[in-house]
Order: sequence, then structure tokens, then C-alpha cells
Amino acid sequence: MLRVTGLQRERGLRGPLLFLLLFLALGGSIIGAVRIGSVPIPVSEVFGILKDQLFLGGRKLASGRWEMPHFQIIWNIRLPRVLFGIFCGAGLAACGAAMQALVRNPIADPYILGISSGASAGAAWALLMPFPFFPGQYQTAMAAFAGAMLSACTVYFMAKMAGGGRLQPVTLLLSGTAVNAVMSAVTSFLIFLAKSPESIAAVYNWQMGSLAAAQWNTLLLPSVGTTVGIAVFTLCGTRFNLLMMGDDDAAAMGLRVRGFRALMFLVCSVLVASLVSVTGVIGFVGLVAPHVVRLLSNTSDCRTVIPLSALLGGVYLVWADALARSVFGAAELPLGIITASIGAPFFLYLMIRRGGHNG
Amino acid sequence: MKLEYNGIRVRLSGREVLRGVSLTAESGQMTGIIGPNGCGKSTLVKTTFGICTPSAGNVLADSCDLSQYSPRERAALIGYVGQDTGCAFDFSVSDVVGMALHARRDRSLSAREVVGQALAELQIAHLRDRSILSLSGGERKLVFIARAVAQGADALILDEPTNHLDIRHQLFLLDYLKGSGKTVLIVLHDLRLAAHYCDQLILLSDGMVAAKGKPLEVLSARLVRQVFGIRGEAYDAGGQVDFSLFR
Repeated sequence: MLRVTGLQRERGLRGPLLFLLLFLALGGSIIGAVRIGSVPIPVSEVFGILKDQLFLGGRKLASGRWEMPHFQIIWNIRLPRVLFGIFCGAGLAACGAAMQALVRNPIADPYILGISSGASAGAAWALLMPFPFFPGQYQTAMAAFAGAMLSACTVYFMAKMAGGGRLQPVTLLLSGTAVNAVMSAVTSFLIFLAKSPESIAAVYNWQMGSLAAAQWNTLLLPSVGTTVGIAVFTLCGTRFNLLMMGDDDAAAMGLRVRGFRALMFLVCSVLVASLVSVTGVIGFVGLVAPHVVRLLSNTSDCRTVIPLSALLGGVYLVWADALARSVFGAAELPLGIITASIGAPFFLYLMIRRGGHNG
Repeated sequence: MKLEYNGIRVRLSGREVLRGVSLTAESGQMTGIIGPNGCGKSTLVKTTFGICTPSAGNVLADSCDLSQYSPRERAALIGYVGQDTGCAFDFSVSDVVGMALHARRDRSLSAREVVGQALAELQIAHLRDRSILSLSGGERKLVFIARAVAQGADALILDEPTNHLDIRHQLFLLDYLKGSGKTVLIVLHDLRLAAHYCDQLILLSDGMVAAKGKPLEVLSARLVRQVFGIRGEAYDAGGQVDFSLFR
């Protein structure tokens, strides 16, 4: 396959440099974020415990080198949470970048396309009127997944009908907005019907997002899903680029437009649903990360933007979560509040800056 | 490569936009499609790539039905430049032209060389590192034409490529296309340019072919009045065909 990215002196260097920097930042973030929390632990101890567990099979732990509570906090509580944050952030950011290319609109994001509000409604249903089978957290996750897939399919087919059999970017965005409104109404209605204050509180918590559900055994699905998703998106980078030039041009340049868009929309939906069903609603990652990457790398080339967005999204969410855990001491702030309060003003700033550039 | 359109019918939102259009673009020649607004010119060229699906009829490239080809195989045979050159994303000019490599068959040149050559042929090598968002409409048009050229296809289909171009670049582009030796199917609004440059003209009116043939025959005073509702005709100006309004 021929490579075109390296054609430019300036831009050609920027991509790999950013990649390296973000990779280092990711490594640093793991150590740094594991250290942060209500119990402060020195970096040397974090390093020691990680090295011992990864390379020495826990020999030093057995010899009593570290206090058991510290080991528990680092290895069993914070590390899975930080890794979970990386996978969620990376997956949401990569999906954001992919969806922006799919609907050819830089403001698209899994949330704007209605997928997360569907997950919200599903989770609210499970929390407020539980089904008799699969009780507990699994049911919430499965109902959220079902809700996300339901709204993704609704958005897809509504957009297709409105576009006269073709999936057009504008109708896709509009039907996303419509489904968003309907699903939010469903959630509100369920809360209105609900009797117990505890379950209403649970729905509110879920809607604000959190990584608190992270454990080693819940990490497998998001990690595999995100890795496969990012790999697929990156390998299809050239095709995403073609699609960004418009449907007609993409078709004339040799892309099977309808099939590709439908397939990628499905991959995005499954990936977002699998993440959101565990974490609850975490907004703005998919919107902000690709924008920042485009500004820093000076290109919209998806082969660069998608992997870089994933890295940046991972770093971003880990630190947002570290902030959520530490800002109010022992009481944890919902992650969705952090991402929204950082994301929204930042997004406005980017838009204003961009506007100035283009004007 | 010879392109043949046989009995093409297309319905868009309940209206029959093309009602059985047949035409042939001969190999190595420049065939112009002219006609009033809304007569189906753009729709016709879009059927080539399956962007508009005909309800009847087919498009043949050297006697092979194009609908049997994959989009990628089709793009290796025919390059296309549409009317719309809008782009919401920040790509450099070389990124945009480099997209042509997705379908290009001939791999004897490196990506850099293919892009450099296409830009040089369209005389826009100096734009190479510029962002597509920073270009004027005319510059963008030339970049998109360079991209179609970089696909390395034997045939080019261009929908009003002279839009946004100043007069010097209009003539430069048409001279370039004429000298390229490729089969060129071109939608034009400027009847003077069409008369001067095209080997053959297809006059569309209300979704049907009103006339086809040499520019002198197609742009007769009678047909021009009948289809466009204006006075004007093509004439022989010392071995070259020209078109004059109000004649």
C-alpha cells in the first residue's frame, strides 16, 4: 500500500512526534494517576509494586516488602480503574473521530447521534423496574447495551427513510437529535414512575458516568472491544478520508459508500454501547479529542487522527477520573461532570479559534 | 476507452429526470454535454459511478457493463470531478490528490511522484503544501481535477469544470484535456467553449437527447432557439468552430 502521509515536510514529522509524545504521556499517566487518590502513595512504591507484579511474579509482596493495604489499593483498585479509563477514553475518542468522518460533520459524536441516550434509557429501565432475571449490575449493563443498540438502529433506519433510501450525513444528525430527545423523555418518564428514592439516585449517578465499576474481571470486554475497534478504524483510515470528501467523490474514487458507512456505523455503535453500558454517560471525549488532535497535527487525515485521538482520549479520561477521585477528598465527583465542564468550554474555545483561522 | 450510455432512465423523487438517453463518447475524443439547467446533465454523468442508479439502461466501457465492476475497478478506469468542491475538513493539497491512489492501478511511480506529476500537469505544484480550506474556488477546482488525473484512468468525466476558473485557466484546462489523449466527457455551460473544443456535442433537453453530432450541426440557430430559447449559432471561423450570440 502506498503511503501519502509522509509527503509533507512539516506535517509528516508532526504525526510521529505527537504519537511518541502521547505514548509517553500515557505511560506517565498510568503511574501518576495510580498514585493519586484519598490515600497518597509515593511513586517509588507504585513503581515497585507494578514491577514486582508484572516481572517478578509477586515475590517481594510475599516477602512482606509492602503493606498489604497499599498493594490492594494500587493493584486491585486503582490500576484496573486507570486501565479501564484508558480503554474507555480511547474507544470513545476513536468512535468520535470515525463518526465525524461518517457523517462528514466535525460536530458529530456518539452522544449527538443518540447512542448514549439510548443506553441511558435502557439502564434507567433496569435500575427502576428490574427484570426478574440476571439481577444486579449485569442487568443494568445488558439493558444499557440493548438501549444503545435500539437507538443506534432507530437512528440508522430513520435517517435512511428520510434520505430516500440513502444514508445522508444531515439526516443522520437530525434523526440522532430526534432519538436523543425521545430517549431522554423515556428516561424522565421512568424516573417519574419510580417509587424508591434509592433507585432514582442510582439512575442519576449512572447518567453522570463513572469508572468505579472497574475490576480486573470487567476489563476484558472493553479492552478487547476498544483495541479491535481502533485497529479496524485505523486500517480503514484511507476509506474514511475518501468519505470525508463527500459521497459522490468517494464513490467516484472507488469506495463502496453505502456498505462502508453502514458497517462502520455498526462497529461504532457496538463499541460505544459496550463501553457506555458499564461506565454510564461520559460526554465530550469523542468530540474534544479528535478536534485537539486535528489542531495539533495540522491535518484531518484519519490514518493519523484516529490513532492519535485514541491515545489522547485515553490520557484525557484517566486524568479526568483522577481529578474526580481527588477534588473532594473521599467523596467522588461523577466523571461526566468533569468531562463536560472541561470539554464544553474547551470546545467553544476551539470553535472560536478555528473560526478566526478560516475567516 | 469508449464510453457508451444506452437508454438511460433515472427517476429522482418521483420525477423521471432522464428518459432514455443514449450516447457514445469515442475513445480519445472530447465529448461535450450541453443543455439548459435541470435537463439532466449531472444526473447522467453520475449514473457512470452508481451515484444515481438508472431504472433502465446501462453504461458500457469498451463494451463491458460498468455495473459489473466494483467501485474501485470503475475508479481505475474513469476519473470524475463533480460540481461540488466543498470540504469541511482540513486536508493538504497533496493529501487530497493522494486520495486518488486508492483506486490507481499503475504502481510504477511512488505516491510522491504521482501526486507531484498530477500537480505539475495542472500547473499547481506551488499549492502542494497548502490547506484545501485556504484555497479559492478556482484553485480547489484544479486540485480536484489533479486528483482525478492522478487516478491514472483512461477516461475523465468532468461536470462543469470551468466553474470558478478565470478565463485563462478555462482555456488552459480545456487545452490540457484536449491534449491529454484521454476520453473526455465534459458538461459545459459555455457554448463558445463547447463549440470550439469538443469533437462531438450532445444536446440534452428535458431528460432526452435533442441532438448529437459535430458542434456546427448541434449548435444550429434552430436548435439553439428551440432548446435554450435564445438567438445564437455556431459558425466556421476559418477552420475553427466558434459560437456567437445574437446571430
